[in-house]
Amino acid sequence: MLGVLLAKDLRRARRNPLPWLINIIVPLAMTALIGLVFGRSNDETLGRIRFAVVDEDRSALADLLRGSANQQSGAKYLEPMFLEREEALRLINANEISAVLIIPTNFMRNYLMGSEAVGLELIKNPAESVHPAVLEELLGALVTALNAISRNFAGEFPEVRRIVDEGTSPHELALLAERVGNKLSAAKAFVNPPLISYEKNRSNQTQEDSQTKTGKGGTPAKSKNSNAASLFAFLLIGLCAMFLLFLANNAMTDLHREIRIRTFERYQTLHDQLWPFILSKVVFAVVVLSLGAAIMLGGGGLIFGIGWRQPVPLMVLTFGYTCFVAAFFAVTVALVPDERRAGVLNNIAGMALGLAGGCAFPARQLPVFLRDHVTPWLPSFWYVQAARDVQFGNGDAKWGLATFELGITAAILIGLAAVLFRNKFRSGVRP
Amino acid sequence: MPTMSLLRVQGLNKAYGAIRATESVSFEVRPGEIYGLLGPNGAGKTTTISMISGLLKPDAGEVFVDGVAFWSDPRRAKRIMGVVPQELAIYEELSGRENLEFWGRMAGLSRQEARARTTELLEALSLADRAADAVKTYSGGMKRRINLGCALLHRPQLLLLDEPTVGIDPQARLNILEFIRKLRGSGTAILYTTHYLEEAETLCQRIGIIDKGRLLAEGTLSELQERLGGDRVFVLEADFTATKPDSWDDFHQRFRIIQKADHQLVVAAVGKRDPAECLKELLGLPVRVENVMLKRPSLNDVFLQLTGRDLRE
Repeated sequence: MLGVLLAKDLRRARRNPLPWLINIIVPLAMTALIGLVFGRSNDETLGRIRFAVVDEDRSALADLLRGSANQQSGAKYLEPMFLEREEALRLINANEISAVLIIPTNFMRNYLMGSEAVGLELIKNPAESVHPAVLEELLGALVTALNAISRNFAGEFPEVRRIVDEGTSPHELALLAERVGNKLSAAKAFVNPPLISYEKNRSNQTQEDSQTKTGKGGTPAKSKNSNAASLFAFLLIGLCAMFLLFLANNAMTDLHREIRIRTFERYQTLHDQLWPFILSKVVFAVVVLSLGAAIMLGGGGLIFGIGWRQPVPLMVLTFGYTCFVAAFFAVTVALVPDERRAGVLNNIAGMALGLAGGCAFPARQLPVFLRDHVTPWLPSFWYVQAARDVQFGNGDAKWGLATFELGITAAILIGLAAVLFRNKFRSGVRP
Repeated sequence: MPTMSLLRVQGLNKAYGAIRATESVSFEVRPGEIYGLLGPNGAGKTTTISMISGLLKPDAGEVFVDGVAFWSDPRRAKRIMGVVPQELAIYEELSGRENLEFWGRMAGLSRQEARARTTELLEALSLADRAADAVKTYSGGMKRRINLGCALLHRPQLLLLDEPTVGIDPQARLNILEFIRKLRGSGTAILYTTHYLEEAETLCQRIGIIDKGRLLAEGTLSELQERLGGDRVFVLEADFTATKPDSWDDFHQRFRIIQKADHQLVVAAVGKRDPAECLKELLGLPVRVENVMLKRPSLNDVFLQLTGRDLRE
């Protein structure tokens, strides 16, 4: 019977494809949009940020700042161009660079004297959003660092200024370095361990290292699990979970329609059990949702250069989740058979399930009560948690259990929907 | 010995909160009979059909299908009956053939059986030439026919028809009524709800009159007419604003008032009496009679007499 019901829905979808196409087009459009905004460049990161530096100070400190942008990590992510002000402004107006950093005249002198406020000027390209914002953040970090140095080494600044202005002997320079070193040693206990730390994912790093080593022609191989890709993988899983909730809500409106046109009622005049009818709707929705998930995770993975570490477990897990979300919305249809009223309820329920399940934000950042007492019980959390574990290294055993739990929950929800529908119909509720 | 009924409804009660949708509704339908359930909108016809088909659970009462209580074996009962809902419960995107085949499969037919039966029904419903077209392109009458056909795939012994001709033109209605007559000829027991008097009069062997959830009377057309005192009623046209029939001596002993208005009075003679004698008495009433008509009592007159209001109101 399930086959007959599915064949019927397939025929209907073929004759009236728009509602189902929307379910496919929306994730495509979303993935493409996100890709356009945050998508990778050739080096599979956010791309090198082109910006101009206008050095009007031409001092040693300005040289230091100029140089830092060209060294190591700076060179990897930043592409500074050292230009005159007019040329820099011309380029930003031509939308060829993301920002212009202006180091004003007497920047170093004023900084070392501490006599007046020192400023760096950043002109952002209004036509771009991400790159100028990244530069602004970097500049903020630089300013914080300069302020910290100024506060802690104000006593050494006059001597530094003298050395810069007049030059000095190696002996005096060594004494100055020793004093600075002693100060740093005294502060070590307060600075180390740092309050905020950053640690690269070990397994990713290992994989990255091995890929780099095996790259041909002396050039590093593409890093499929770069930090940026890891971040996007983390976000994409949550985004996909949220989106599948939205798509499932859309897909299950067909059950509303079957109620409205009384075909579900007609089915009941022939059969006593309602679950096969509901199951057919869930199965059909699961097929559509799986396509949507494949587009989001597959397409998103391509755009962001995410290498899914364990694609098969992720697919199985996602399949389990699609079963759950479709069955979940079958229950909401049974609770509120009226399509208009159900729309509001379903949106709220989907949103709540997504947010409280840690799809949009990491679960540990949720309010304590929610995090400790609600989130662990939400299947959306089971999914994102297990999927992230699969991707980031410690979910080998968990994904199977999570899939099983999602499947069982879906089966229970289908049964619940059948009971709710039967009770509703038998008591005479006709939407 | 009377034929065993295929459907027996006994004391069906259903209430939606304070509203009593049906109250002690009882009747039976025999094989090869069309039983009409006649009543205005909101009388409880659809609720009754919903309870018989198992869509609604009655608060009290019992439905027996082929002698077996429905709720003791709903699966068996559903195999025996076919239900045609008042609304068009069909898929408009699918063709007529696809709709019929699908509901045939749902009724338990094999693919081959469903296909063969569909072809047969499309011919019988005069829809063979449009079988491949999407139902949404059909006229209202054609959709109604497909809606009817979807309940017939498994050759039900008992057919429940809930106002199957609502909202269609007279020609399409005649086609459907003719088809239903043929079904009856094949021995199918049919429960037919309607608010059209003519349909009940011309189609049904027995009629139950239902209003406000209660079955007020039932019987053949002549049995119902008999309730009015025979096969004739008198329609008097006069000014009844000044003088009231209630004030006339012995009037209620001789005549039963069916309908009373300011300028019209419909009455039936009490007992078997000569129409000429009745006419003479009516012309002798203390009111200036402008016109008197003698006519056969209609179901509407029966309904009027039972409820005090017109079925068409």
